[in-house]
Amino acid sequence: MKPEVSLNNIYKPSEDVVAREVAGEFIIIPVASGVGDAEDEIFSLNEPGKSIWDKLSADKSLRDVALELSKEFEAPLEQIEKDCAGLIQELLKRKMVVDKG
Amino acid sequence: MANFVNSMLLPEFPLWEKLKKGRQLVSFDLEITSRCNNNCRHCYINLPADSSEAKSKELTFSQIKDIVDQAVSLGALWCLITGGEPFLRKDFFDIYLYIKKKGLLVSVFTNASLITDEHIRFFRKYPARDIEVTVYGATKKTYECVTRKDGSFDAFTAGLKLLLEGGIKTRFKAMALRSNVRELPEIARFCLERTKDYFRFDPFLHLRFDGNPKRNEEIKFERLTAEEIVAIEQADSERYNALEKNCDKLIMKDSAHINCNHLFHCGAGNGSFTVSYDGFFRLCSSLWHPDCVYDLKRGRLTEAWQDFIPKVRDMRSNRGEFLEKCRKCQIINLCIWCPAHSHLETGELDKPVEYFCEVAHFRQKMLEGAVD
Repeated sequence: MKPEVSLNNIYKPSEDVVAREVAGEFIIIPVASGVGDAEDEIFSLNEPGKSIWDKLSADKSLRDVALELSKEFEAPLEQIEKDCAGLIQELLKRKMVVDKG
Repeated sequence: MANFVNSMLLPEFPLWEKLKKGRQLVSFDLEITSRCNNNCRHCYINLPADSSEAKSKELTFSQIKDIVDQAVSLGALWCLITGGEPFLRKDFFDIYLYIKKKGLLVSVFTNASLITDEHIRFFRKYPARDIEVTVYGATKKTYECVTRKDGSFDAFTAGLKLLLEGGIKTRFKAMALRSNVRELPEIARFCLERTKDYFRFDPFLHLRFDGNPKRNEEIKFERLTAEEIVAIEQADSERYNALEKNCDKLIMKDSAHINCNHLFHCGAGNGSFTVSYDGFFRLCSSLWHPDCVYDLKRGRLTEAWQDFIPKVRDMRSNRGEFLEKCRKCQIINLCIWCPAHSHLETGELDKPVEYFCEVAHFRQKMLEGAVD
């Protein structure tokens, strides 16, 4: 089942992962067990994914994150909101972000 | 909807491709102690577990953190924690967790004899990519003949049981030596019964990093003959098939670097480095020639990686014996000769080593079908 995502909620990177750039890839490395799917996998975020991730550390709702990105990239808010929700859904599934409500 | 998260298997990660194109730090080995609770006959590094002198020279946690920080800034993805026996360090958990939290994949080499329930709880919470355990014998008699420590077999089996029952990913390796060679099939069986992963053995014993002459004689006594090495390689179908598959690369029609007097044609220092328990940086674990080590207590890792390594890799030889023999040798890829091992054996980086030569020629005969 896909996890539910609300634009009103704040989502933050899990303390059980580390995100870093290696060999030109922005990757998320699990620190604790239960994060990610398989032990031999590396998780990388593409450019739009990285831009969203970078804004998750601040205590902002996902809607505010989307609004900022929409201004930065001069892109339609509706599309960015959809992208943000899509990413958070994928990250929640892997327990790489936490829902702070 | 677009996919923002790509997952890929580690071998598909572009870091390996980048490494093929030039120098790119991928991994590093941290020997966090030289002390060990065993006293193995063949060991190239061990000092007594209670040696206060060895302990006093060990890098502090703070120094290790600084090295790890720099390695991460240089792009490292993988760290091997080794020793000595790394669990002898009281701050092992701090060191391990610090490395994990910097976003590195971590492997640990151990003899498993110090593993407790606390280690299992810890590794279940913060999994290592793998824990590799060395198996010196499948029976108490053989195991303790190698380790020269009463009770070590029981401690090893108890630790191993905890690891396996705790669901910790464990790999095995064995060194093939005079004291355990007759038990090698049992050792292989012991390991394969306990892992779905792989088991490997290594028949090449190299000499002490500290050059201790008495210990070096013990290591030489433990070395198998060329015939014995070939026999156990032939008996291991996986190993033999790998050698056979790469036969054309191992036995070259022409020597690859015939007109070059550069010493280093291996990958040492291109994608990895090693740090000793007392802070000495090397291009690879065995490369201890004084011109090839860099003291991290006096300098920075970034300088060692960026400036020192290229200078070492540019070192050349003018020794006729080496240039005529090893440099032109068509089976150098079957030989464990390298500048590092040459130095450990002879004190020089560019001298042939008769024992290596014998083994390489016998392996050639095996691959050409001349050995039954």
